[in-house]
Amino acid sequence: MYRKQVRRRRAVLALLIVGSFVLLTATYGSGSNGVQRGVSALFSPIQSVADGALKPARDLVNWFDETFDARGRNSRLQDELRAAREQAVGADAALAENAELRKMLALDGSGAIPSGYERVAARVIARSPSVWFADVTIDAGSDDGVEANDPVVNGDGLVGTVSAVTGGSAQVTLIADHSSAVSAKVVPIAVQGVIRPEVGDPGTLVLDFIDSTKHVHKGQSVVTAGWRSAEIESRFPPNIPIGEVVRASILEQEASQQVDVRPYADLRDLDLVQVLTGGSRG
Amino acid sequence: MIFTPSILARVVAIVVLGVFLQLSFFSQVAIFHVSPNLLPALVVSLGLLGGSMTGAVTGFSVGFLLSCLLVEPLGGASLVLLACGYVAGLFRERVEVHSPLAPPLLCMALTVFAELGFGAVELMLGGGTAISGLLVRDLLLEGLYAFLLGWLLYLGLRRLLRPALVDVRPLRRPGRPRVLGA
Repeated sequence: MYRKQVRRRRAVLALLIVGSFVLLTATYGSGSNGVQRGVSALFSPIQSVADGALKPARDLVNWFDETFDARGRNSRLQDELRAAREQAVGADAALAENAELRKMLALDGSGAIPSGYERVAARVIARSPSVWFADVTIDAGSDDGVEANDPVVNGDGLVGTVSAVTGGSAQVTLIADHSSAVSAKVVPIAVQGVIRPEVGDPGTLVLDFIDSTKHVHKGQSVVTAGWRSAEIESRFPPNIPIGEVVRASILEQEASQQVDVRPYADLRDLDLVQVLTGGSRG
Repeated sequence: MIFTPSILARVVAIVVLGVFLQLSFFSQVAIFHVSPNLLPALVVSLGLLGGSMTGAVTGFSVGFLLSCLLVEPLGGASLVLLACGYVAGLFRERVEVHSPLAPPLLCMALTVFAELGFGAVELMLGGGTAISGLLVRDLLLEGLYAFLLGWLLYLGLRRLLRPALVDVRPLRRPGRPRVLGA
């Protein structure tokens, strides 16, 4: 009895295994067959109903999974955004630096800087904390050949003069500083005067001590005069752009003109500058 | 397992319901990017409750129905799942382990085995492709889901098929003996 039962069980198992292989062989690569079509036709409506009924439950489970996934993705995207932002900032800085250097190159090529001067490129590494933006520190010093009273320019024009030097850095007094005075002339009429800062407005310079008989007009350019006498000469070479006349008014009582000049160089936002070394040392 | 028409109907209903649940629910949800596979655990549970023949036949049936509804070559899933059911039934018949952890652990192990078996059938049928290392993670997760699902499934099926199980006491407790005339 037991042996018979075992034989029957083995036969069923063998039948199932052989049946599986036969089905596999018969149906592989033949697409759908009659049995499958029949079963599908029978169960498709039920499957459709079950699918609709279980959708809320599926959505609930998937919501949990997507929430976990979104949290991980959010963290990853934040990291990527941070990296991209750093890259973008780096690229922007490089572009700005490139533009600055190109302007300096253009200034060099324009002939505004006379021969006899060595150009030492430097970066502004510190800035006066006062609202006047009158002093900056650059990362070039006496080790680079920079000396006190050397003129400092950037791609737009005159920036200031070196007022103190250490081995690896130098302090630059900007032309907007209250102690600054630069001999200048208005081109093309060659009226000379002295550029001084206007206290309280670092964005405006005043061209003073000019001949009131020669009228200055708005839009004319102001450059360094670069005078020279028998014994002394200006610390600035001639014809370095300083700024543009934005207002000119005649003061009848003082028999002089008041000329406001907007500096070409953005003195509030200096980054790269050039120190002109090797010229005359005032 | 003692098969009566009622028990047979219950087993058929369980098989059909299990396949529908798998296709309409479990295959369409993803937990940590992996969908749970209920069917090996179902077959293993039935094999553990009914023995090797019950396991093999239900495994074959589940695989057959699955292949029909998915319109894929018949026989492959049947072969793999009948092996799972048969092994689970043999375990019940040959091994004396009464730990409550045995069914879920067996579900876990045989689910991983079934997944590897499905892969082997695919490879056998010429579906060879590059295999990612993430497959190992997926298999482990499926095993974990099978452990949890198998536990619940085994307890539920045991309760549902209790009248047919020869080694399980009836659910109803015998009443207290009454003393006649008291």
